[in-house]
Order: sequence, then C-alpha cells, then structure tokens
Amino acid sequence: MPTSWKWKVALFAFLTVLAIYLITPTVFGFRDRYDLAVETNTPVPWYFSFFPAKWINLGLDLRGGIYLEFEVELSKAVQNKVDLITDDLKRSLTSEGVQDLTIRQEPSDYTIQINVKNDDDASKVIDYVNKQYSDLLVRRSGASSSEISLSFGLTDKYYEYLKNQISKQALEKVRNRIDKYGVAEPSIHRLGSNRIAVELPGIKDPNRAINLIKKAGQLEFKIVDESVPQAKLQQLIADAKKENGIPDDYSSKTVAKLNEVLKGKIPSDDEIAYELQYDSISRKITGGIPYLLHRKAGVTGEMLKDAKVNVHNNEPYVSLVFDQTGTTAFGEVTKNNVGRRMAILLDGVVTKAPSIREPILGGQAQITLGYGGYGDLLKEAEDLSLVLQEGALPAQLTEETKTIIGPSLGADSIHKGIMATIIGTLIVIIFMLVYYKFSGLLANFALIFNSLFLLAALTLFQATLTLPGIAGIALTFAMAIDANVLIFERIKEELALGKTIKTAVEAGYNNAMRAIIDSNLTTLIAGIVLYNFGTGPIKGFAVTLIIGILVSMYTAIICTRMMYDYLLIKRKVQLISI
Amino acid sequence: MRKLKFNLPFIKYQWLMIAISAVFVITGIVVIATKGFNYGIDFKGGVKLTYKFATATSEDQIKEILREKNLGEADVVRYGEPADSRMVVKVSLPEEHAVLGETITSILTEKLGANSVTLESEETVGPRVGKELRRKAWLAVIFSVLLMLIYIGYRFDFYFAPGAVVALGHDVIITMGAFSLLNKEFNISTLAALLTIVGYSINDTIIVYDRIRENRHLINSNNLNDIVNLSINQTLGRTIITVLMVLFVLFAIFFKGGGTLHDFAFAMIVGFISGTYSSIFIASPCYIGMYRLMPKIKKLFGK
Repeated sequence: MPTSWKWKVALFAFLTVLAIYLITPTVFGFRDRYDLAVETNTPVPWYFSFFPAKWINLGLDLRGGIYLEFEVELSKAVQNKVDLITDDLKRSLTSEGVQDLTIRQEPSDYTIQINVKNDDDASKVIDYVNKQYSDLLVRRSGASSSEISLSFGLTDKYYEYLKNQISKQALEKVRNRIDKYGVAEPSIHRLGSNRIAVELPGIKDPNRAINLIKKAGQLEFKIVDESVPQAKLQQLIADAKKENGIPDDYSSKTVAKLNEVLKGKIPSDDEIAYELQYDSISRKITGGIPYLLHRKAGVTGEMLKDAKVNVHNNEPYVSLVFDQTGTTAFGEVTKNNVGRRMAILLDGVVTKAPSIREPILGGQAQITLGYGGYGDLLKEAEDLSLVLQEGALPAQLTEETKTIIGPSLGADSIHKGIMATIIGTLIVIIFMLVYYKFSGLLANFALIFNSLFLLAALTLFQATLTLPGIAGIALTFAMAIDANVLIFERIKEELALGKTIKTAVEAGYNNAMRAIIDSNLTTLIAGIVLYNFGTGPIKGFAVTLIIGILVSMYTAIICTRMMYDYLLIKRKVQLISI
Repeated sequence: MRKLKFNLPFIKYQWLMIAISAVFVITGIVVIATKGFNYGIDFKGGVKLTYKFATATSEDQIKEILREKNLGEADVVRYGEPADSRMVVKVSLPEEHAVLGETITSILTEKLGANSVTLESEETVGPRVGKELRRKAWLAVIFSVLLMLIYIGYRFDFYFAPGAVVALGHDVIITMGAFSLLNKEFNISTLAALLTIVGYSINDTIIVYDRIRENRHLINSNNLNDIVNLSINQTLGRTIITVLMVLFVLFAIFFKGGGTLHDFAFAMIVGFISGTYSSIFIASPCYIGMYRLMPKIKKLFGK
C-alpha cells in the first residue's frame, strides 16, 4: 500500500467531516430557528455555538426581495459645489479690493465666469485664484470684450475627486438609512463610478423602502414673499405655462423650468415652489398652491440636531431640534420676519407655510404631514424623521433598475428548480448503475460526495444560490459524470486489450486524465469570464459553476480512484464489474 | 490499439454533414439578421411584471386593457403552468420607466378588481443599464471564446484550433438562431446558457481532439481520414452515454424546472446537441483540412 494513499484517505475523511460540519446549520434550518428565538426572546439553543453561523445564501429570485440600482445624479451636485466656491470666491475677491466684479456659474460646464473692469483687477483675480484656489480651479481661455472676462474651470483632479466624493457620500447615506430602517442582510455597494446597487432580501414593503432610499431629504426654511398677490402669481404661472408649453404638473422638472422662464417677471432673488394638495382617499395629487419664496434658505436640514416622531391629537408629526448654529439662525430669521410667513420645504416642495407670530429662540420646530390614515401617516413620519436624522443625500438618485420578487414566486421557483434537479440526478444515478454496474455505484458515491462538498463550499464562500445557480450545479454534476464515463470507457478499452483489472484501471485513469483536465479547465475559463462580467444572478451562476467544477474534479477523479485502489490493492479484489 | 466492435464511417459522409450544417448556420444567420432577438428587458430597458390572477384571464384581454390606456403594445405571456394562471407583462417605454410598473398594476387592479390581481414580481431596467448590459454580454462572449482558444492553442497546436473555432461559431449561431426563430426571450439567463454551451462545445471537441492527438503518430497522408474516423469511433461510447445523461438532466429541467429555467434548458438542449454534432462533423473535418493545407501554407510563406 503506497503511503500517499493514507494521506488521500486522511484528507478525504477530514473534508467529509468538515463538509458535514459546515452544512449542518443550513440543513437543519438554524437560521429560521435563530430568527424565531430572537423574535420570541427565548434563549438560542445551546448547540448553536458549536456550529458556524454560516448558511447558504439564497438569491432574490429564490427567497424574494428587491434589487435596485441607482444612478447618482452628479451634475446637479457638482453645480451646487461650484455655487459654493463661487460665493466664496466673490466674498474673498471683494475683500481683496477687486471692484465692480460680476461672477456667475455657467452650469453646463461648471465654469465660473468673472467679469472685471480693468486689467489691473484682472491680474489681481488671476493671482488670487492661482494662489488660493490652485487645487480647485484652472483658467480657461475665454472670449474678451470691453469688460475683461475671465473663465475658470474645475481642475481635472478636483473634478474627479468631487465626483468620487459625492458618490461615496451618497452610498454612505443610503447605507445608514437602510441600517436604521432595519433589514436583515442588506447588500449595498458601488457599481462603477456613480452607481449604487442595493439588495434587500425578504423585505415586506418594497415601495416604502425604495422611497426611503430615494428621498433626497433636503429640508429648507424659506420666507414667503407676499409682494405679489396669490391671484396674480397664479395668472403669471398660467401664462408662462401656456406660452412655453410647460406641462401642467408639479414635478421638480416642471418647477425648475417654470422658474427659468419666469426670470425677470418675479423679483430676482425669488423662486416659485408649490404646496401640493391630495385627494384624501386615493392620495393622488389634485392640485398645488404656488408660493413665491426668497431663494436663499435661512435655515436648512444640515443645522438639525435631532428629528423625532410625536403624536398630538391622533396626528403624527415630526419634531425638529436644531443645533447651535441652527438655533441662532432660526432665531434670527424668525425675529426679522415676524408677521410674515415661513415656508417649510422638503425636497423643494412646500409642506406648510405658517405665519411667524413671534421670534422662535428655543431652536425647535415641527413638520406636520399631509393627509391619510393614522397608520400611513405614522409610517411616513417615522421614515421622514429617519431621513432627516441621517441628513440629505449629496445628490439625487435615479432608479435605473428595479427588481421586486414576491416571496411566493421565489418559493415556487426554488421548489421546481430543486425538483427538476433531483429528478435529473436520479435518472443519471439509475442509468450509471445499470450501465456500469459496480463501477457505476462508485461513480454514484462520488456524486453524492460531490453534492456534499459543493454545498459545504457554497456555505464556506458565502456564495449566493440563484436559480441559474441551481442549473449550474446540475451542469457540474453532468460534467462529473462525464469525467467518470471517460475514465470507465478507457478502462473498458484497456480490459479489452487483455490487461488485468489493476493495470487497466491505472492506464484508464492516466489516459483519460488529459481530456478531463483540458475540458474542465476550458469550462472553468468560461466561468471566470462570466464572474467578471456578470452581475446579480449571473455572478451566482458563475460562482456555482467554478466551485462545482473544482469540486467535481476532486470527487470524480481522486475519490473514485481512491475507492478503486482500496478494493484492488488493499482488498485484492480480482474482478470489478464495469 | 483495441479493435472496435464497430467503425461507423463518419468521415466518409463529412461533406454531406457539412452541407447540412451550412444550411442550418445560414438559416440561423438569415433569421437573426432579419428577425433579430426578442431581448429581455434586462438588455432592452422597460418593465417586466409577473401577476397571478384569481380569475381566468387571457393574454389578449390584458393586452387590450393596456392598449386602451395608451401603454403601447405590451408583450403578455403565460408563465408556468396554465393552472397557476400567472402572466408576465412586458412593456418598454423607456421614457417613464420609474413609475411605469405602478401605473400598469393600478390599471389592472382597476379593471379586474383588487382581489383578483397579485403582483408577484417586478423588474424595471433603465435604458442606460440595458445598453451597458448588452455591451458587457458581448464582451463576455468574445473574451471567453478568445481565452479558450488560446488555451487550446497552447495545449494542442494550431492544426486543431481553427476547427474548434468553427465548431464553436456553428453551435453559437445555431442556438441563437433557434432563439430568434422561436421568438424566445434573449436575456441574461440565455447568455449564461450560451456561455455554458461555449464551454461545453469546446469540452466535447477536446475529447475528440484528444483522441486524434493520441493517435497522431499513426497518421500519414494516406490514412489521415481513417485515423480521424477511428478516433471519433473510439470516443463514441463516451459521447453517446454522456449525451444521454446530460439530456436526461436538461429535459428534467426543461419540463419540470418552471418558467425561468425553461428557456435556459431549451438553449442548453439545442446548443448541446449542436455541440456534439459539430465535434464530430465540423471540428474533425477541419483538422483534416488543416493537416492537408499546412504544407501548402508553409510553402506559400517559403518555409
């Protein structure tokens, strides 16, 4: 008996024990029991600590849930950032003694246009920017007229940094919101430069979760400009809509367009925003009251310390507590505007515009919610307070893809997929037994160990099992059987040449090996490429394919050989049916 | 060398078989070129909704409802067994994809009653993502084929590689042609199937090639056809058994695996049969051709 044989057996025994150990939690449903124990507040069974807290992850298609991909709308966020820089630059240049300058942002390419009156000022501006803003801004050649016009653009490095930063912050916010919302095993990650993928398995109210993630959470307090009467304002808007063919709705796109065409017709520091009216039953938008607001927000959501849900008179609302800066700013604004109205805007929409009766110095405010049943409003208030606590998203998120799979469909697919795989495998097992007799039995043993090791490997690597993944497993089973068929056919050939069973087995394995390895490796290459290009379910397929091929090569070649060796060398069996 | 119980004359009929293949491949190309693919929404953008209906509902009825509401030509297909009364609705209006799913659901509930419609799954893909996925998909196919060929070139030699390429192209075109012809949905799962077919087709070709490689020392220009034919016959036992067993599994998935796996299994079955066929009737004759051509090519380049 060669010594290497002992090692092979030892390894095999070790792997078997390890595999059984790894799959025990999955097979005996530890996860459900664990969840149940946590839910009912009973102690977790004592034997749980002996086993790994790992189980096979089921993909969305099998257990239900949602998968979302959001695009982070960078351009608006970059514009906001450039706005801040522009403000900053204006302040600094004025204090540097540059007279009569006009400065504005060109939103289409994020450049800052500065016009000054003479060359002296121009060189001052250039010097100042080169000295203080060299990391951020770089001079672009611009057209010159009677005034001296300078153009600065973002440096490539800063632009890249900004984009990366915005996406990163957005991801962080989304993650915090989901963590607060409480979802078991969420998966949130960045895709490429500006896309965020979110996977929430087993979630019950998908639309609520989606809204929670997408909500910009931009809270602003703006003073209402009542110099234009409501009737005139409505007339202005109606005319503008008609003239410019703006659709008659209240989306953020429409409002932005409206503000653009109304430039010059309303005071220059003002803007229009709507308060929406809902049908009390269907909760559909039925109309909107336009407000003329001072553009500059006196107080914003960034100045919040806390946001909590309260209920008063059976009506849930969100109470806000400002931080130090917020309290001061809020006090200031309310003091200066007593008697006027202050609009509370959430993501550009007026939620309420109460009159300021007296200065509010305590740093507290509250937001009441629209219409609806108590339960819905409470949910809405909870979500809103969560969003406000976590702060606004740095950029808008647009849904690019959305997959929602109900749990019943998932259960149905998994049932059918597993049934089909079992039926297919059973037919193969019977066929092998009939055609190759005892050797077929060995191959079937190998197949059983193949399944065991495969499940253990999937658990170990925390691979996600998807529906195509199950098909991938079926495929690797077929390839495992193919390897055995190749070996057996070779052994038969050798036996036909009149060799003894022992030498025939040896030659059979040796001759078949090259073809088996070549064919498995090429399929492995396909699996690796798929893994690199695929997303979601395809990645799951690729992982099962890769693991399956590796495992099946071990069981189909090494394990069956071990069994033959045991019988032929150790037990000195003279005849094996094949 | 074992004497075979039988030696079927595969190579004798190689031209006939190549002609049959050519007909299939050309048909495939024509169908793909003229008819195109029924891309799934993951490649095209749009929404795909799966509903379970409590009352008997027909595909046309739903199409009609959606047409009335100006939602264009919806693609409505029964999903799974008729008893389940599940229906998949696909609409691609790339402009308003964000709320399209909700709109359709509310229209159907309004028309058919709230209790008779259950939305079981919803899939929305923006046009941007769809385009990108399509690009990635093609890259995946091209890359894997390229890498596999490099591997074969390395493990065998370049007498073999062209045959493997031609056989592979043959299998992929025929499978894709079948998808186009039968108007089956071409989606991510189909792509996974296609790549598996690519792997399997090469796998099968390698088994036959491996035998030719082994018998190579016997080959001279007089018995080339016989030796290649012999190699095919020597691997025939394995081919038949493996084909049978893989088909058992695939047919089980095809008939019993449920909606999603159904098309996957279909692609695999077509590709698998084609892959086995092409190893024998395409790849092997290609080797013969390369063997005969090589001296001429060498002479041409003055070596």
